[in-house]
Amino acid sequence: MKNKYIFGGIIITVFLAIMVYLFTQSNIQYESNFQNVISKEKICKATGSWIKTKSYEVDKVNKTFSFFMMDEKGNEMKVVYYGTIPNNFESAKSVVVTGQYKDGYFHARDILTKCPSKYQDEKIKSSGL
Amino acid sequence: MIGSIILTIALACSIFSVIMYYLSFKGYKNTLNYGRIGYHSMVLLVLTASFILEYLILTHNYGFKYVYDYSSNDLAKGILAATFWAGQEGSFMLWLLLSSIVGLVLQNYSSKRGDLEPRVMAVFSLATTFLLIMVSPLFKNPFASIWSEPIFLSLKDVNPSFMSLPFLQSFRFTDAQSGQIFIKMNSELFASLSSVGISLKEFIINGKGLNPQLLNFWMQIHPPILFTGFAMATVPFAFAMAALMKNDYKEWVKQSFPWVLAGAGILGLGIMMGGYWAYEMLGWGGYWAWDPVENSSLIPWLVGVASIHTLLVQRKSQAVGGIGKFAKTNLILCLLTYILVLYSTFLTRSGVLGDASVHSFVDPGMLIYLFLIIFIGTFLVMGFGMVMYRWKNLSEKIASDEAVLSRDLALFTSAIVLSASALIVLVGTSAPIFGKAVDTFFYSEMHIPLAIIIGLLNGLSLLLQWNMTKGKDLLKSSIIPLSISLVATLLIVILGGVNDIMMMLLAFSAVFTLAVNIDIAFRIIRANFSMIGAYVAHIGIALFILGVIGSAGYSKQVEVNLEKNVPVTALGYEMVFTGYSPIENTNKYQFNISLKKDDKSFKVAPIMYISDYNNGLMREPAILSMFTKDIYVSPLGYEESDGSGLTTVNKPKEVLTITASIKPFINFVWTGVLIMVIGFVISVIRRLKESLK
Repeated sequence: MKNKYIFGGIIITVFLAIMVYLFTQSNIQYESNFQNVISKEKICKATGSWIKTKSYEVDKVNKTFSFFMMDEKGNEMKVVYYGTIPNNFESAKSVVVTGQYKDGYFHARDILTKCPSKYQDEKIKSSGL
Repeated sequence: MIGSIILTIALACSIFSVIMYYLSFKGYKNTLNYGRIGYHSMVLLVLTASFILEYLILTHNYGFKYVYDYSSNDLAKGILAATFWAGQEGSFMLWLLLSSIVGLVLQNYSSKRGDLEPRVMAVFSLATTFLLIMVSPLFKNPFASIWSEPIFLSLKDVNPSFMSLPFLQSFRFTDAQSGQIFIKMNSELFASLSSVGISLKEFIINGKGLNPQLLNFWMQIHPPILFTGFAMATVPFAFAMAALMKNDYKEWVKQSFPWVLAGAGILGLGIMMGGYWAYEMLGWGGYWAWDPVENSSLIPWLVGVASIHTLLVQRKSQAVGGIGKFAKTNLILCLLTYILVLYSTFLTRSGVLGDASVHSFVDPGMLIYLFLIIFIGTFLVMGFGMVMYRWKNLSEKIASDEAVLSRDLALFTSAIVLSASALIVLVGTSAPIFGKAVDTFFYSEMHIPLAIIIGLLNGLSLLLQWNMTKGKDLLKSSIIPLSISLVATLLIVILGGVNDIMMMLLAFSAVFTLAVNIDIAFRIIRANFSMIGAYVAHIGIALFILGVIGSAGYSKQVEVNLEKNVPVTALGYEMVFTGYSPIENTNKYQFNISLKKDDKSFKVAPIMYISDYNNGLMREPAILSMFTKDIYVSPLGYEESDGSGLTTVNKPKEVLTITASIKPFINFVWTGVLIMVIGFVISVIRRLKESLK
């Protein structure tokens, strides 16, 4: 009977420790205020909307896709995504970009677009296994 | 209207059934039949309501909000029928429908096993009661009229022959930005229309249509299978509660076992079908993105599978008398499976995930949020309250020593590892509630060591006999599989170029499991076919893990610009873009690419089109499946220009941009899952027979 507890106890403790460690390592904050995004220069998920009037740019040579985003308060920033324009980008109501602000623009490694329809079943993800 | 009335009566029947079954459990003599009548009437009414909803969809009755929101005239019959579950209301309806049917089987099953029925069915009907409240006119009612909330109809969806009606002019609105004209549909317009005898069905001639990413073959089968899995997760909960109510923990183990197995098999199949859908359709190249919606169905599956392992120990250990080992663990795991299904529903449908998932439903309102909390809360308090109440009765001392080298312990440890995996996914998926999110490497880093342990443990535990094995015996029986695995791993490392130490270990543990399971399966297949279920399922899991190693760890990807008729070599293939052609009867275009390697040539044709639904560019990948790998071609864009941006007199260049990737052994992922499901089926048959003994 004792073995059960020793075995289980060790496994549970080790995994909890690793999990907490990795959780803090991989933890990303949501940020809807671009002033914080720009000043902190930390990896985060910035939420806002695409500024349609400023259009977007697809750079074939460097394989980037760039556009301007605006938060609720009207703060703007340039976003450069290392990849191509995601499905449905034009009709997206809001955009969530994951990455880091550096050297004057936001380096995005993941874009998530949300569409105005009620039931969202779109996986416009650029990453995955 | 009639649909809502039927659902309301069904709700009354369901409540009646809960009370009658509960009274029968309490010893009342005449109430059992009332409980049955109540339950069967409920099922009949739910079936009728579902038929009505399906009929409204098939006959394009856009006077109903749900039909207008999710379907349109141009959908093919199969997909049109599947819009039944395209939205929130309909998917609750589907869940309810499948639950009622599962309950029908359960009623029959439990009525043949002693005094089981009143307890199991009282709990089960309580679950259907909550689902019925969910689809009632108060919450997510699929029969809501289109004018129940004011909605702006696009002009093209309105019958033009009524446009000249004088009263209609006051409902016309023009969008200042786009100049588009809309008709505001509200109760006043409905009243005006009915006063001149125009029905909504005549007035609204087309619906909004279905999101193009749901326009897929898998839309027709993935949701029903997944929801069958959800519905079946209710059953172990009901069995555990039944045991707690009677304070008898012996019988429920063998009685619930086939249900737990069948539920896990079906849910697992449903989850992976979703993965295959994502892989084949959505073009991000993977089958699993650790998206909250995928995760939230994985969590109950992992817990359900964990419970299978400890239920097995309890059942075996009952042979020496008593309630057996892990009685508490099993009750808790079975209760948790269903509670986690509810939690998953809460996460994905209450709006708490917000920006975290592309899947999530946008803000369904505070009422739904509260109701979902009450739903989970009720089952959580009920289940765990009962466990605490019976705690002392559950702590039966079992007089048997446990050695480190026992199969019991190995099985228990595997349940712990599976639960740990569930916990990891749960923590990561719940993080958005607190305004945080985890990077996907959190999941993969955590799971690699777990998967290694699972593989090794499974191989070892099968070599261990029940209870105790001497170290010497273990060594002797494991020599052959161990040496096979070492050789195979060596081959994988050398031929496959696997150089990461964790990947080597993972490959070794998967091959080890595979070798042990195949060995045992072959040894017993002649003697007793019905026994091989578990081994087959584990062979499936081992193949699955090997597939994941290959496809996730060692896929190669490049982005290529293909100018028309100019060969480009990438990933060892000579690729030529030969032009695009429209696909008949659709607005889609296929972009034809021919691939050549050595003397073999292949053709692939990824698809791109502009969707009418959202005016967005949609892309569909093309997959060339071979035995050892898939070549996955995902279109990115197409351009007709000379590249410099200047106009030239010459013919413009036509350039197709694609990402091409090679995914080694991805077929092992799919075959692994299928083999696992076959294993589940064999086990269910065996345990079903045993449950009657």
